[in-house]
Amino acid sequence: MSPHTVGTTVVPESAAAHPATVRTRDWLIVAAAAIVALIALYAVFIDNGNLVSATGSYLHEFSHDGRHLFGAPCH
Amino acid sequence: MSVSAQPTPYPLLPLLGRGLAAGGIAGLASGLFSLLLAEPLMDRAIRLEEKRSAAEAAHSHAGHSGHSHAAEAEEIFSRGTQHLGLVVTAVVAGLAIGVFFTLAHALVHRSAARDDGRGWQRAMGLAGAGFLALSLLPALRYPANPPGVGDSGTVAERQGLWLAALVIGVLGMVLAHQVHQRLGRAGHGLPVRQLGAAAAVVATLGALFLLPGNPDPVPVSATLLWDFRVLSLAGHLVLWAVLGAAFAAPALRSAKAAKREGAPESR
Repeated sequence: MSPHTVGTTVVPESAAAHPATVRTRDWLIVAAAAIVALIALYAVFIDNGNLVSATGSYLHEFSHDGRHLFGAPCH
Repeated sequence: MSVSAQPTPYPLLPLLGRGLAAGGIAGLASGLFSLLLAEPLMDRAIRLEEKRSAAEAAHSHAGHSGHSHAAEAEEIFSRGTQHLGLVVTAVVAGLAIGVFFTLAHALVHRSAARDDGRGWQRAMGLAGAGFLALSLLPALRYPANPPGVGDSGTVAERQGLWLAALVIGVLGMVLAHQVHQRLGRAGHGLPVRQLGAAAAVVATLGALFLLPGNPDPVPVSATLLWDFRVLSLAGHLVLWAVLGAAFAAPALRSAKAAKREGAPESR
């Protein structure tokens, strides 16, 4: 009853119906989204004035409460 | 888009859309939860911190010895803006986590059939693993601290430790999954597989405690600290639970619709 036993009957069909190029493109899109997501997480949880620092740590102060609550280190 | 929905087990792009939507909803739910329950506590913590630093300043006539946390925060944004910032932060974090949730789902369940009726178990199982890896285990080593705790001189060091804890948490859950799968392939039953996975989780917790502890003093009351940490973990829990449920919901609906249409076997 594991997903794998079900999967073995489905995989050969799907490989034929779904061209490898489309699958590669989809994985690239997901990889790009993951990179954007990492930058976003850096901005809200880590940055202390490296990204936006006109007069100090704007991002740090804006996301200040979120950082404390999510357990991210805060000054 | 040339994605044909029918034959593929979990086509990737619709999955990404679902992950983003579920992540956004989960972040909003968690942010509003924290706004209602945790913000009064944080406001109180900041008032106490201001009182503490004012008393310190009165004691030492040398004046300001370093920037106060609360005073510095007030210079740039009002508390009201920071309340909004909490919700925005939670939504951004939810969207980003939604992307990685999609990625993990696509990798872990790449050979699973789409409509085998186990979509809910898969999503909630993955959400539980995410909660353990990124919330509970790291929080047991480095619990969240309210405003008023945290020395700006050690922030880089603490960020390094926190990130290390997150990485160890994720690696630990990958290990637990691998142990679970391998024991299954070796012909062991569910009790052995689950005990093996649990041992991996305990080992991960042990590894986390090999990291050096948080170097900062904690000059706040135990009650405030406990309440804050419980609410922090609750906020994490809301995020992961809503993420898993919202991610699985469309699959549940389509499975129900397929049943109603009288399809004898939906794939």
